[in-house]
Amino acid sequence: MRSLSDNKTATALFAGATLVGTLSACSAPAPATGTDASTPDAAAPVTSGDYADGTYTEAGNYTSPNGAEQVDVTLTLASNVITDVAVVGFGESPNSKQFQGEFIGGIAADVVGKNIDELSVDKVAGSSLTSGGFNKAVAAIKADALAE
Amino acid sequence: MLSPSKQFEAIGAPWQIDTAQPLSAEADAAIAARIDDFDRTYSRFRHDSLVSTIARTPDTYRFPPDAPPLFELYRRLYTATQGAMSPLVGHALEELGYDRTYSLQPSAARTRVPQWHEALSWDGNELTTHTPALLDVGAAGKGYLVDLVAEVLREHGVDASTVDASGDILHRGDADLRVALEHPRDTSKAIGVVSIRDQALCASAPNRRAWAGLHHILDARTGLPTDRIIATWAIAATALEADGLATALFFAEPTALVAEFDFQWVRMFSTGRVEYSPDLNGELFV
Repeated sequence: MRSLSDNKTATALFAGATLVGTLSACSAPAPATGTDASTPDAAAPVTSGDYADGTYTEAGNYTSPNGAEQVDVTLTLASNVITDVAVVGFGESPNSKQFQGEFIGGIAADVVGKNIDELSVDKVAGSSLTSGGFNKAVAAIKADALAE
Repeated sequence: MLSPSKQFEAIGAPWQIDTAQPLSAEADAAIAARIDDFDRTYSRFRHDSLVSTIARTPDTYRFPPDAPPLFELYRRLYTATQGAMSPLVGHALEELGYDRTYSLQPSAARTRVPQWHEALSWDGNELTTHTPALLDVGAAGKGYLVDLVAEVLREHGVDASTVDASGDILHRGDADLRVALEHPRDTSKAIGVVSIRDQALCASAPNRRAWAGLHHILDARTGLPTDRIIATWAIAATALEADGLATALFFAEPTALVAEFDFQWVRMFSTGRVEYSPDLNGELFV
């Protein structure tokens, strides 16, 4: 895990975005565990000053050649350590989407599944189908569980 | 357009090989022999494999000529994931019940997964084990075997082919292959579609190999299944790399892997959130 201060995403944000409200109080670069980490990084250093534990979301605005753009930054703080960071870009133009995508290493989004049988595709890629022994073993365990 | 020409089961999964023309009997036999060779070396599910022999006695073992790319990829991904992705999880998988007999009954024992340097030395040809080490190359081995089968096809004059080992797909040819990305929580649905051409696409998800609240993708640092990511896809030049990277995406930030490897990726978090590489050749249904 990297700290926020040397993370490409965060560097770009702090350089290019005006973050207002609670986050602007963090004048020193605060450590983080990267995006969407589920567990705190024990090695992360503690910043000076006390912040209340909790989740903070702030909008950052910047002006691109396409006009005003926005990114939302959500931080989770525990004992003055950033334990989670999520950055969501809202750039509407193709360029903005591309650049924000490069910042955050991919665009975060909620997906809506489409029925595979309605898609025109040659193949489907998911986890490996299981065969033979594994399926039998799972079936046997289920049968045992029902019998108990 | 290729059409289905050969379907079979190997190394615990269904396979399909699509070619323009039906395969010759010679090519058929050569594919079966290649897969059997691989299995006899690397399978921890058979008693007579080299991997099972190694697990019984620490020593120095000579591997067949196909070994260096596999071990070198593992070594690179071990470093890139800071030790999370390791070929040394075999024993931990057995303790969790993913063993030769598929007992699927977790034992109470939890042995720490040794670090690479504690257990292994690989000199490019020979593997020396310092402890009784049960190797598991499941994170990249099937993808690698897909590459090796495509190589057999090429040796038999078949240049355009799609080898699909269920989740690990290698396309050879000059027409696009459109592939749906299966939703790990509803396998009748796709979260997107990508196109590959002369590339490999490998998917990884714990949804089908799950039992007793456990699954087969272990973080070697904890010896336990990972739960933050629920599905990954990687597109790379070879199925060896794509398969290994798909697993590594469960453990490492994509930015760390992109610095080391040339590949496209998609990953889905347990929260339902999806991230993908800016250069992804396809669309996600957002």
